[in-house]
Amino acid sequence: MVRIFTALFIVLSINSLAQDERGKITSALSFAPGFLTDKTYTIQVQGYVGYLKNRIEVRADGFYFLGSYGDRPRFSMNHQLFAGANYHFTETAFQPYVGFQPGIAFSQSSEYGTLNDTTGETEFVPSVNPIGSAVAGFSYYGEKLFFVFVEGRYIFGKHKSNTYPTFLDEARLSFGLGFFF
Amino acid sequence: MRNFILIVFFISACSLAQENNFNTKGDLEFGLRTSSSLFGRDGIAGLGTGGQFRVQILDKINTEWFADYISLDLNGAGVRNNAHIGWSVLFYPKKFGSLIPYVAAGHCFDYAKVIPNSTSFVDRSDDIITRWSSAVQAGIGSHYYFTPRFNLSFSAQYMMHLGQHLDYDLDELSQGYYLETHDHSGSGEAALEGHLLLTFSLNYKLADLW
Repeated sequence: MVRIFTALFIVLSINSLAQDERGKITSALSFAPGFLTDKTYTIQVQGYVGYLKNRIEVRADGFYFLGSYGDRPRFSMNHQLFAGANYHFTETAFQPYVGFQPGIAFSQSSEYGTLNDTTGETEFVPSVNPIGSAVAGFSYYGEKLFFVFVEGRYIFGKHKSNTYPTFLDEARLSFGLGFFF
Repeated sequence: MRNFILIVFFISACSLAQENNFNTKGDLEFGLRTSSSLFGRDGIAGLGTGGQFRVQILDKINTEWFADYISLDLNGAGVRNNAHIGWSVLFYPKKFGSLIPYVAAGHCFDYAKVIPNSTSFVDRSDDIITRWSSAVQAGIGSHYYFTPRFNLSFSAQYMMHLGQHLDYDLDELSQGYYLETHDHSGSGEAALEGHLLLTFSLNYKLADLW
């Protein structure tokens, strides 16, 4: 029953999508430096997959946290997943865009630990926290396969675990090479 | 001048009277949402994230099946996490081209967990309290279609939870706040609790099913 429903769903989806002009599947990898308060910087690896059609790009992004440096590093882990959409202002090779992506952060404080009564150790409990981000950037498409992109985003949210909360707010820059099909 | 106003009014009325192609029966949409919880029992705003499917059964009636996760910082004294999973019926009284307002009502299940903050000297993990409850919600909202397949939606709904009493107090002390929790699990003590849920979502039409 589940198989029949899934097959029916895929056929209907493909059929209805096939009625319009085809869009582009986009994907890219990038290093993404981030800027926090207290002269602190972060570095992430970013990857995304999107679908661009009629100036709307639906996109899912993942950031893998590599580390943070500066006066107040504050996190030992801050991996993030986003999914949302961008609006592209043009359909030419040069395409500036803006967008919004809600997401989640898998974060762990490096500043505030808590006592575990059972073990007697101080532990840093990781947690999942809702976040959001506003995005602006541009991409430049080649005739085939490749594009380059530069974008900035502001991420907002709060790391909440079992001790003092810490803001996850960060300005982040990404630039890199992508593929489209 | 009067003729000009009449012509503009006539053209506007004609364009509104055209059949709405943005939102019709059989549409299946998938969307992602950012939610904010306001005016709850602690008076603290929370931020949440989640997603939804919409299955439109008639031109004027849609259904929304959602799940979201909202987290509140209880003034630095603890954390309250809420997870909702539920559904709403959306009724469109009138469609204005790409702008489609609606009235919504529905039901959801809610899981709430209150975690008092521990420190490096005090472990308060035994004071965590949890609750499952059922809720009803109703409110208003609007879709705005950028293209026939893609829309942005905003809604405001009041959600009322009926379930076991989640008993905690946020006490203001001279040095900040202290979260006191009381575990009543199994006591069956019921309570009514409500909050305003503002939701901003981006939705994409996957298929026209019928």
